[in-house]
Amino acid sequence: MNIQAANRLTPYMFLAPAAAVMIIALLYPIGYMVYASFLDWNPSQRIGEAEFIGLRNYINLWNSDSFWESFWVTIRFAAFVVSIEMFIGVGLALLLDRQLRGMAVLRTIFILPMMIAPIVVGLMWRYMYHPQVGVFNRWLNNLGFDTIPFLGDSSWAFASVVIADIWQWTPFIFILALAALQSLPSSALEAARVDGATGWQQILYIKLPLMLPVLIVTCLLRLIDAFKVLEVILVMTNGGPGLSTEILALRISRTASEFRQLGEAAAMSNYLLILLMVITAIMFVYTRLNDARLARIRAAGAKAAQAEEEAV
Amino acid sequence: MKLIKTIALAALVGTAISSAPASAQMPEAVYAPYQDVTLVVNFPAHPHYDAAMRVLPLFTEETGIEVEVDQLQYLRMRERQTLELTQDEGDYDLIAYVVFSKADYVFADQLHNLARFFMDPSLADPNYNAEDLIDGYVQNIGVAGGTKGYLPGPTGSLFGIPFGSETSVLGYRTDVFEEHGLDVPETYEELLELACLIPELEPDMGGLASRAASGHQASHAYLLHLNPLGGGIFDDSWEPIVNNAQGVEAAEALKSIVDCGIEGSTTFGPSEAAAAFAQGQYAMFLDSIAFAAGFEDPSRSTVAGNVGWAMHPMGVERASQTGGFGLAIPRNAPNAEAAFLLMQWLTSPRVDLMIAMEGGNPSRFSTYEDAALNERFPYSATFGEALRFADPDWRPIIPTWGEINADLGTTLSQILTEDLDIQEGLDGVAERARGIMDEAGYYAWQ
Repeated sequence: MNIQAANRLTPYMFLAPAAAVMIIALLYPIGYMVYASFLDWNPSQRIGEAEFIGLRNYINLWNSDSFWESFWVTIRFAAFVVSIEMFIGVGLALLLDRQLRGMAVLRTIFILPMMIAPIVVGLMWRYMYHPQVGVFNRWLNNLGFDTIPFLGDSSWAFASVVIADIWQWTPFIFILALAALQSLPSSALEAARVDGATGWQQILYIKLPLMLPVLIVTCLLRLIDAFKVLEVILVMTNGGPGLSTEILALRISRTASEFRQLGEAAAMSNYLLILLMVITAIMFVYTRLNDARLARIRAAGAKAAQAEEEAV
Repeated sequence: MKLIKTIALAALVGTAISSAPASAQMPEAVYAPYQDVTLVVNFPAHPHYDAAMRVLPLFTEETGIEVEVDQLQYLRMRERQTLELTQDEGDYDLIAYVVFSKADYVFADQLHNLARFFMDPSLADPNYNAEDLIDGYVQNIGVAGGTKGYLPGPTGSLFGIPFGSETSVLGYRTDVFEEHGLDVPETYEELLELACLIPELEPDMGGLASRAASGHQASHAYLLHLNPLGGGIFDDSWEPIVNNAQGVEAAEALKSIVDCGIEGSTTFGPSEAAAAFAQGQYAMFLDSIAFAAGFEDPSRSTVAGNVGWAMHPMGVERASQTGGFGLAIPRNAPNAEAAFLLMQWLTSPRVDLMIAMEGGNPSRFSTYEDAALNERFPYSATFGEALRFADPDWRPIIPTWGEINADLGTTLSQILTEDLDIQEGLDGVAERARGIMDEAGYYAWQ
């Protein structure tokens, strides 16, 4: 090997350890899961003893009503919680982005729910929703209203788990939105104020557009998390009544542990992974298109300014 | 996980089992080869096993064999065992397994056939008296390979010994029944009538506390009624019959019971149903005998002293539940022989009685007949009688049961909470169950 070739290879040699670690730590488990999804694999077997069945797990799932019911429950759950959490989280951040006495304490209190272990959150809400001893139904009783079957009725149970998730994860949106707000360039806001923009106009035309890249990433992170939420629902309803709150993560867990079908559970995980990748890709494309649009606007603005200067 | 090492716990033994028979003279030659062994056992978090652990230090005192207990919630325990049993050499010498795990473990050849231990004169206690073990429990929990694959028969073998096994009985509030002049129900007709009459007589009280939560719990509650009413999940050719007239009648019974319950009863698991009965919110409770001791504990129950017990009411036949746990020795156990000695000790007539006196579930008829036990727990005689009707074929213990059970349970939950038509719901379960069984090869010989 001559010196030139050795020089060309040097960067790759330095990169090799990191690449090896990434392949082993990141890609191997994913590859293992993809391979498992092609097997008829019972947890009592070693993976080498499982029968290779090709795409049968994927086809079975595609034809399974229960899978599709869980899929749509997941979509509905993610859509509700993420949109409501974004609305409340960003709203709170806009409200609390100011220098008030005790604001640091207030912000800390706001983020407490996301620090609590999900199992505890599930237990806490389960007992608050309890038909007899739960605080909500006792309030309703004291006020002379009928009690509500928060976890015993399909529609109410879905709404109840959505509320618990919103309570726990809105602070996450709030923190990131607040950080984004506080890093906005003050010159743009000052210019808007000088031009006479109202508070609403500042929010709609200055703050939100400038926060958008952070909000998109925040939304994506929450969306991914909402698709995978498990413990809170497991403790609160275990997917019931019927299948009304059985989201895909819970069905994957039940398929692996109760039905003892690791291959089908892996196939279901891959469907979920594909769905999340599609959502991520859509958001990525949207961000790129938005960046390109802004670049075009900036270029047009610069061109117009240059033309104006030349005319003068 | 709760890890308890029972070394030097002999001091506790005296207080823990004060009412139990005195220590027996153990043959030194039997235990001498295992003096340096520390057995690792896997038990569920369950009242019976809590009672067993209060007695366990005596084993170390008598035999010199030390025991470490790894105690887990029973479904977590099953997951842990599934992983452990696939290893070349496992950590567990002895496991307690939930009844429906029998099919999975035996099918995967992960448990020792116990014949080789009972045939070994250096291990098998001649006074063990296996005939005294409750027959329905042994058939349901211990034997596999006979009729239908999971029941006894000419080709069956013993893989486990019942330990912490359960049957179903009817608990009722004696004060409420006396106040309203009610008779204890003996038939399903009487049971269902009373279940909905009681809320009329006692407006804040439900009739019969029952499990009903989506999934396994609703399915379990349904099976409680299905068997006495003459139904079943499959016929002898593995064709699903869950949607026949008896199946529909059982679902109607469950719906009627839940509808006549208190607010929120559709989310009840066994603990919630038992807690509601213990807090005086129900007049009757139809479930496992494991809850009986708790109802008589005034620190946890407001109905202590006011609970009577009767046999599971009769439909077209008597068929109470068989379930709970058994003990088995994994094929990859590091100390299989010493584990057998512990298993034999725990299920011996003397220790079975000791554990029962601590509030555990007896595995032997003689324990139920013991005068001291009946004096301490007056319901024991009723439970012993109920066990004569425990149905070993109460549910199909086959590898596909987990998936069918979950589907049945979620469908029943839809029937209970979303007013899904019973016949339509059970027809769907039967159709899907047939597909699952077909894929698993149950119709290959037809």
